[in-house]
Amino acid sequence: MTRENFQKLSAALLLIVSFGLPLVLRSPTYLHILILLYLYAYLTTSWNLVGGFAGVLPLGHAAFFGIGAYTSTVLFLQYGISPWIGMVLGGIMASIVGVIIGLPTFKMRGAYFALATIAFGEGMRVMVENIDYLGPFNLNGPRGLQIPPLNVGLANLMFVNKEPYYYIILIMLIAVLMLTYTISCSKLGYYLNAGGEEPEAAKALGVNVARCKLIAMAMSSFLTALAGVFYAQLTLFIHPKSVISLDLSFEIAFIALIGGRGSIAGPVLGALLLRPVSDFSRIYFGHILPGLHLIIFGTVLILVMIFQPRGLQEPLTKAYHRLLDRLTENPTEKE
Amino acid sequence: MVGMFVAYWAVTLSGLHPYLALILVIPIMFFFGYYLQDIVIKPIFKAEKDVREPITVIIVTTGLWYILDNLTLLIFGPQYRNIQDNPLRGKMLEIGGMFISVPKLWGFSAAILTALAIYWFLQRTRMGRAIRATSLDRDAASLMGIKQYKVYNIAFGIGTAAAGIAGVTLVPFYNVFPSVGVLFDIKGFIIVVLGGLGSISGAILGGMIIGVIESVGPQFMTATWTEGIVYALFLLVLFVKPSGLFGVRYDW
Amino acid sequence: MKILEVKNLVKNFGGLRAVDDLSLTIEEGQILGLIGPNGAGKSTAFNCIAGVYPPSDGEVYFFGEKINNHNPWDLCKKGLARTFQIVKPFASKTVLYNVTVGGYVHTEKRAKAEEKALEVLKYIDLYDKKDMKAGKLTIADRKRLEIARALATGPKLLLLDEVMAGLRPTEVDKMVEIIKDLRDNGITFFVIEHIMRAIMALSDRIVVIHYGQKISEGRPEEIASDERVIKAYLGEEYGVS
Repeated sequence: MTRENFQKLSAALLLIVSFGLPLVLRSPTYLHILILLYLYAYLTTSWNLVGGFAGVLPLGHAAFFGIGAYTSTVLFLQYGISPWIGMVLGGIMASIVGVIIGLPTFKMRGAYFALATIAFGEGMRVMVENIDYLGPFNLNGPRGLQIPPLNVGLANLMFVNKEPYYYIILIMLIAVLMLTYTISCSKLGYYLNAGGEEPEAAKALGVNVARCKLIAMAMSSFLTALAGVFYAQLTLFIHPKSVISLDLSFEIAFIALIGGRGSIAGPVLGALLLRPVSDFSRIYFGHILPGLHLIIFGTVLILVMIFQPRGLQEPLTKAYHRLLDRLTENPTEKE
Repeated sequence: MVGMFVAYWAVTLSGLHPYLALILVIPIMFFFGYYLQDIVIKPIFKAEKDVREPITVIIVTTGLWYILDNLTLLIFGPQYRNIQDNPLRGKMLEIGGMFISVPKLWGFSAAILTALAIYWFLQRTRMGRAIRATSLDRDAASLMGIKQYKVYNIAFGIGTAAAGIAGVTLVPFYNVFPSVGVLFDIKGFIIVVLGGLGSISGAILGGMIIGVIESVGPQFMTATWTEGIVYALFLLVLFVKPSGLFGVRYDW
Repeated sequence: MKILEVKNLVKNFGGLRAVDDLSLTIEEGQILGLIGPNGAGKSTAFNCIAGVYPPSDGEVYFFGEKINNHNPWDLCKKGLARTFQIVKPFASKTVLYNVTVGGYVHTEKRAKAEEKALEVLKYIDLYDKKDMKAGKLTIADRKRLEIARALATGPKLLLLDEVMAGLRPTEVDKMVEIIKDLRDNGITFFVIEHIMRAIMALSDRIVVIHYGQKISEGRPEEIASDERVIKAYLGEEYGVS
């Protein structure tokens, strides 16, 4: 069997398995874990557009998540607007905010950019925590907003069982992965990579680095907001500390970094490896040692950065290629 | 946050006046920072020597911050603490009809003194000049015989020591808990951007401006709007004059 | 026709006047050399022309259009490309990827950009290294990559900043051949160079600057015997009177 066919076959198998899983796995707890896993894989892949391709370190993405969640929830609760439309509107809002923040901050050096994004992320959380009413919209401050589980159905993105949620997030994940792949092969992808690696040279080659970064940011924030809406509809309760939290921003960034930013498989790999750790330590150690999983994340992050700065996907991809060589006919040329 | 915790335990365990605890806090914090930089961050600097922008360092520092915050949470628990019999607590000084809080007055003086001390250090001492030289161009500085890594370690140590001093000044009137650092971190960053990176007088002025906004604001509007103004100011500065009030026109 | 016209260019950095009242013109199809002792202001002049920073005074015209405050990427699209003295390859990407970035200037499609890139790579003899990571190339190959990238943008005027530095004499000769060949194919060149062998062989005309000011201009033979130039390079005592 040739390499290409083998890869196509494994991709197909993966799809079948992931779509078929809910038929085999009936427990809602496990489904919930998987749903969150896909959600994080989605979030980190969206983050990757800015954090990986554009070469900067945004640590405030939870703000976009929250914008999406709040926009759709408020519109749904007060005006009965379907969350699907809420997704679009929330995404647009997040994009606008992302660009506004990006405009001055992209000029900054790495550390300052990171700090600026943290500042804005936290700033947003504090403000939402303290506002009850923003104009005609009821944000309910720190008490959060709750969505009553009436009117279930696809139109309102609300379901009694976990299965529909599973499929929706799975489709979203596949879509965002395909989008990332398409971008990486396109002019924008090349320009982003060039601008992230050597901005001076890129500019001399016709790349408007600042504009490309802003486009990436607009896309990334839009996509992140969509996930926020999904989450709101999944848990039916949102409040600032859960959707605009620094912890969330960090977790997304850390997972993407450990998995390998800048690559397509990296963020997903990171999520696959780290989410179970997080769930595991939360379930078993949650009450005795709170925050343990975060310490583990931080430590793993530092170790990975010292030894494998491009993320764990690098050795794993190499191993994967070696495996392919052994199983298929055409060996790769040695570099 | 670490500074505050060290200060808290130093005072609680030894019963010292908080400002006397500085004798303990400053060296502890300095060496903490020095060795943190030396052991954890130096290897990365070495690996990324040629990269103009060692972004991995930022990632690692963030990881460290995260670990510290959560480790503290783990060890000490999330509850708020404050010093029990605190000689400074709640004391007020009356000056011409205005009530000024004594611990904050101490804090103010400590801030000015620390700023002056650091300024003097950077301008007048050899190591201070070495630090400034390295910040401008680290390769050129090392060619002049300045040991890069030692400079980084010391600079970092001074930074943490200053944070320790800040911790001591805060402990008398602010609660201590694991995530207390985040708030100050962000405010500190906003202030530095406002005042201009690399400018000590800018930082002080920036701090005063933000401080005034935050104290006067709540008299006239809700906390949210005060925060909103601070952030709006932050954004404005970034758009209009990214180098801040007194900042040097860097390549950002 | 005049492709590039520089009129009374001045660039100040705080108190330092790096470029002082520099004027020159380049005709289409010419190779103009810019030489001068270290620190004379050559790269600064380049950077002002290429849009890296704006001139403090004076004007720069490209094909008759004033380009004083244009961005480097706009200039690139207009046909003005440049290389860097300290090469800046996209080290983690392959040679082909590097050049393809340049190839995207006039197209949105990857296939077209890659096609252009492969064409350039074949021409400049880097084709067999196209899948190598740019960071692993030798310095000579990196210099060629730098030129290849700029070529992929389809320039009409190419600014080369000390592209020969670090090359062996045989490599220098090869590079001179490549540049001359490119000129015969319609590209105008503005070259900064220190290696006399190269600049003398290449240039139709040479401009000499010292302390930011033009001290001489002419054909290579004229420059070589110009007393002011000799003094500038070798010091006062060497002037042949």
